[in-house]
Amino acid sequence: MITTREAAVRTALAGLVVIGGVAAGCATPHPNYPITKQGVPLTALNERLAGSAPPVARGVTAERLRNARSEPQNWLTYYGAYDGQRFSALAQINASNVQQLRPAWSFQAGVIGLIATPATYAFEAAPIVVDGVMYVSGFDGYVWALDAATGKMLWQYRHAVPLDVPLCCGNVNRGVAVMNGKVYYASPNANLVALDATTGRTVWAKVFADVRAGESATMAPLVVKNLVIVGSSGAEYGVRGHLDAFDAESGEHRWRRYTVPKPGEPGSESWPSNGLAWATGGGTTWITGTYDPELDLVYWGTGNPGPDYDGTVRPGDNLYTNSVLALDPDDGTIRWHYQWTPHDVWDYDGVNESILFEQEGRRLLAHFDKNGYLFVLDRTNGQLVRASRFGRVTWGDIDAASGRVTPRIIPTEQGVDVCPGPAGLKEWPHAAFSRSTGLLYAPVVEQCATYKLMKTEFREGMAYWGGEATPKKDEQWGEVKAIDPRTGQPAWSWRFEHPIVASVLATAGDLVFVGTPTGEFVALHARTGAELWRHQTGSGIHGNPVTYSVAGKQYVAVPSGWGGWMKGFAPELYGAPRGNTLVVFALP
Amino acid sequence: MRRPAYHALVLLASALLVGCQYVRLLRPSVLKQLNPDVVRLLNELPTVDDPNEAIVARLFAHGGLSHARLGGDGVFRDEIRVPKHEYIWRPAIIVMERGGELELDFANEDEAFHIALVPSNGNRRMVELPVRQRGKVRIRLDQPGYYWFGCPVSNHAGRGMLGLVLVKGEVPAEAKLDRPRMPRPRGG
Repeated sequence: MITTREAAVRTALAGLVVIGGVAAGCATPHPNYPITKQGVPLTALNERLAGSAPPVARGVTAERLRNARSEPQNWLTYYGAYDGQRFSALAQINASNVQQLRPAWSFQAGVIGLIATPATYAFEAAPIVVDGVMYVSGFDGYVWALDAATGKMLWQYRHAVPLDVPLCCGNVNRGVAVMNGKVYYASPNANLVALDATTGRTVWAKVFADVRAGESATMAPLVVKNLVIVGSSGAEYGVRGHLDAFDAESGEHRWRRYTVPKPGEPGSESWPSNGLAWATGGGTTWITGTYDPELDLVYWGTGNPGPDYDGTVRPGDNLYTNSVLALDPDDGTIRWHYQWTPHDVWDYDGVNESILFEQEGRRLLAHFDKNGYLFVLDRTNGQLVRASRFGRVTWGDIDAASGRVTPRIIPTEQGVDVCPGPAGLKEWPHAAFSRSTGLLYAPVVEQCATYKLMKTEFREGMAYWGGEATPKKDEQWGEVKAIDPRTGQPAWSWRFEHPIVASVLATAGDLVFVGTPTGEFVALHARTGAELWRHQTGSGIHGNPVTYSVAGKQYVAVPSGWGGWMKGFAPELYGAPRGNTLVVFALP
Repeated sequence: MRRPAYHALVLLASALLVGCQYVRLLRPSVLKQLNPDVVRLLNELPTVDDPNEAIVARLFAHGGLSHARLGGDGVFRDEIRVPKHEYIWRPAIIVMERGGELELDFANEDEAFHIALVPSNGNRRMVELPVRQRGKVRIRLDQPGYYWFGCPVSNHAGRGMLGLVLVKGEVPAEAKLDRPRMPRPRGG
């Protein structure tokens, strides 16, 4: 006798079996085709591209990096040497023969498939050259080793960069560092990767920032003693800036130094005592620092506070944003700081390089700030020697001797015109100091903008500008300005129709090289500013030219590839030709 | 007679409440277009891709989604086929619960030659897919985010052969910012 209840259970079970069977039948099995192919690295398809580099980087010791000036045939660090001068003692190419300069070779990566923010990738790197081998990074995770005399690719590394990486202003990378057989590279998604300099294979990799929180990375790491120091990007996403140091050999994390203090820490009195303004305070560290080995101090700039334009949510000076930090490299202790723009509401950052030089027996530091002032500091203690304007400035005044800052115009909801604009009177591309002429050479962005305040709600990983700045593109131009650091007065100026957003290179051949947004690579006379030579590279220049020599022959290399934060410095050139070519010049 | 009428009224009222879009979905002409893979994709995304699900769904809602299985050897695995005459990957979105190694087994059911170009730390990898053959590729993706893969042959990617490997998770704790938990776009 079967009860009604049992019958119901049996019917339900039978039903389940039938449904299960049908469902199993519906699922299509993976085809039983033969497995005939295995995945291979993209470059391995071409035997010529799968090579290796000679082991030249093994000999690059911390000692050689300290004395990089004594080997002008090489370009051993991001700026050529720790002092950030971007000056080369090479003089084979000089003011009397530069007219004969012509392309020796070029290297280009091209693009296959989708990349993050393809509309804004730019070729911003500073190639490193060690005894005939060049190490250079590109956009979207690329690092290459090239034969510096022929351009032949020796190896390629490509970091897998997620499409949703929160890049503020462009898919860019500014280069690598080299020491003891390793090449150090910071990927856009903030992985510090140590590569074997002969093969391009990963030795170790460490994550140093949080992409989910809006952080990323664009700078070239700095190797100091036995440490690799890296900085973060993302102040437009309301992050908290920091520097991290890793053991160069093992990759072990040594220290992290936040640029915005927590409540109770030194500097926290410059932030509101209530709320979380400090936690979204910005101050990222996206440009490589310089280093004085004798003082054992690293000089690293810090970026804008968050949100960029709305200062009402963060009353106070907002330390240590828009500053230079003089740090003990061993533990990241801040020995002194100097704030270029207290309570920045114009996106003036403070990341621009600090160039180290000596004058009249003093150890000095020169810094062209986005805020339009050239600062000269005593780099032993951070005391101001002089502040001087190097172009149009309306946001406020800085007293030349005392450094006292008086803001004049701040963003309003109706919108207000301010000079310079958000790219700054000098953007991140670097100035140079010539040891031959004693002059500083700055790439200048003469531009003003309309600043509008807009209240913005903070959401982690989302843009947090607090307003908008729109450049006045009809009234803008570019310049290379030669300035005497003893007086702050210009020696000469070379003018161009678009802002100059490429780094300057000075050489002992009495030459100053610079690139333009429309692709011209130009040589100027270092003493007069006279234009001596130009070559059209095919795409705008927004990177770092360098010079080196191999087997007694001098080369000048320039990355050509337009892009980056064009909204900020050249909105009229969104449609300009793009590319990613390294063009290298030599005399015939 | 009153009971069915009452039921009908309740149904109509409910339909109005939840919105006419749902009632329209029940038309046979609509039902036969329903792609179970896409329905599943839309149901899955909020759990796999916060805060980017809207972006992923707009760009890559074809061919469906699959969660890669984690093997005893610590390697994630999944299978992808190229169906005949469709120019898609099925599934087109492979979800990894966390960063690591992923082995993909591609089968080409189409009548044309394809290639899978897939991201991997160190160098992208590619595997050729001759007609009615399979190819395997092992890749390494360590960090969260979504990574493109596609077919670089002819204009196959442009016609739909785009896919994603979506790596879930967060960066290591030591890489995170020292600050209180902050609000995210979806209130998470």
